[in-house]
Amino acid sequence: MANPQSGIDEERFQDIAYRRSADPALYYAEQRARGPITYDQDPQGFIELINRADVEYVLRNPDVFSSDIGIMGSTEPVIPIGIDPPLHSEYRRLLDPAFSPRRMAELTPKVAERVNALIDEFADNGECDFSQELSVPLPGSVFIDLLGLPQSELPKLLYWKDVMTHAAELTGGIEAGQKLTLETAPKIYEYIYGVIADRRNKPADDVITRLMQARIENDRSLSDNEIARTIFLLISAGLDTVSISLQCIFNHLATHPDDREALVNDPDLTNNLIEELLRWESPVQAVLPRRATRDVEVAGCPVAAGTIMQVLIGAANIDPAVPDAGSVDIHRGDKRHLAFGGGHHRCLGSHLARMELRTVVREWHKRIPNYRLKAGYTPEWNANLLRGINHLMLEWDTKGTVQA
Amino acid sequence: MKILLDDNACQGHGRCYELAPEVFTDDDRGHCRLLQADVSGKLADLAAAAARACPEVAITVED
Repeated sequence: MANPQSGIDEERFQDIAYRRSADPALYYAEQRARGPITYDQDPQGFIELINRADVEYVLRNPDVFSSDIGIMGSTEPVIPIGIDPPLHSEYRRLLDPAFSPRRMAELTPKVAERVNALIDEFADNGECDFSQELSVPLPGSVFIDLLGLPQSELPKLLYWKDVMTHAAELTGGIEAGQKLTLETAPKIYEYIYGVIADRRNKPADDVITRLMQARIENDRSLSDNEIARTIFLLISAGLDTVSISLQCIFNHLATHPDDREALVNDPDLTNNLIEELLRWESPVQAVLPRRATRDVEVAGCPVAAGTIMQVLIGAANIDPAVPDAGSVDIHRGDKRHLAFGGGHHRCLGSHLARMELRTVVREWHKRIPNYRLKAGYTPEWNANLLRGINHLMLEWDTKGTVQA
Repeated sequence: MKILLDDNACQGHGRCYELAPEVFTDDDRGHCRLLQADVSGKLADLAAAAARACPEVAITVED
C-alpha cells in the first residue's frame, strides 16, 4: 500500500506494532481507555476500530465500507478480497466449493504425511526451531500441492509471501518495506501469468485449471487477469496466516503445561482448543482495511467519506463487552469468534487453515507430547498485524519421543 | 425446540454442521442447510451450541 505521507515516525509505529503483537490484551485495554476509535496508531493514517459491535457493523455493511483498495503492492484489487458485492458474490460462488470443508478433508492424509516428514527431520534432535522447520514450510508445501507446482518453488514462494506480509521486518523499516512490496508485486504477477499460460496448454488437476474451467456471470469464463489476481491473493493470504497461527498455538501450549497435558490426555479437545486459541491469540489481527464510501458515523464518531479503517478483529475477539472474552479457557465451547473475519468476506481459506492447524496439532502430539520452550530462550514477537514468533525454539526429551 | 436459519446471513463458517451434524449440513460451497427444524433432548443442546458458535448469528433457536 502506498504511503500517502512522507517522513513517518518509524520508531514510534514499530513500537506500537511490537507492543500490540507481544500483548494484545494489554495493548487494547490501553486503547479502549482512550476511546472506541483510535486516530493516531497507524503509520498510514488509517483509523482503527477495536470494539466488537463496531467491527461487526463494518464487516456486515459492504455498501458503506468498501473493500475496493489495493493491497500487498498489487495495483489492481485482488480477488475476491478486494471486490465488493455483487461481483464479489459471483467470485465466491465459484471459489467456495474449491475450499469447502469436504474438499479440504480429502487433503488431510497428504497434509499429515507432509507434517510427519517435517517432524522426521528433527524429532531425534530433541529440539527445533518450530517456526522455520515446521510452521513456515508446511503451508507453503500444501499450497504448492494445491497449485500443482513443483516443491522446488518453495523458497521463492516463501520469500514472496515475506515481501507481501513481513516487508518491514525484511528491510528494517516501514517505508523501505512498502517500497520493496511495490517493486516485487509485478514480478509475482509475471510468474503467475507464466503458470497460467502453462496450464492453458496443459490442463492439470489443480486450482488454476479449475478456475479456468469455471463459469461466472452470464456464463463467461474468468480472464487470465482475474485468475492472476486470485492466485496473488492466495499467496499473500494462504501461507503466512497458517504459519503464525501455528506459532501462536504452540507457544501457548509450550508455556501452559496444564493445557498441553489436557490436550495430550484428550485429543478430542483439539478442535475446541484451536478455536479458543484462534480467538484469544488472533494471529491475524486485522482484516483487509475498509474504505468509507460516504460520510458515516461509527461508534458515535464521525468518519468522512474516503477514510480508510483498520478493522481489528483481534481487538473485537477479546472485547470485554462480550461475556468471558477476557480470559483463555480451552475447555470452554466455541465463542463465536471473528478470527476468520465475518460478513461476505469470511476467510475463503478458513477450512483449509483449520484442517492444517488440526492436522499439525494432532500429528505433533502423537510423537512429541512433552515439550517446552528451549532453556534460556524467550520468545520474541514480530512487530506485525500478522502476529507471530519468527523463531519459536522448542525442546523435549528424546527418550520420551514416540516414534511414528 | 424450533430452529431458524437466516440463509442470507450465513457465510459458510461451518461451525454449525461440525458441532451438530445431525441438525445441520453443508451445501457444495460450505454454507449451512437445515436438516431438522424441530428438535429435542440432546439434539436441542447441540443445536443451541451451534447457534452460539455462529459468528454471523445466522441461527436462532426458540423453545
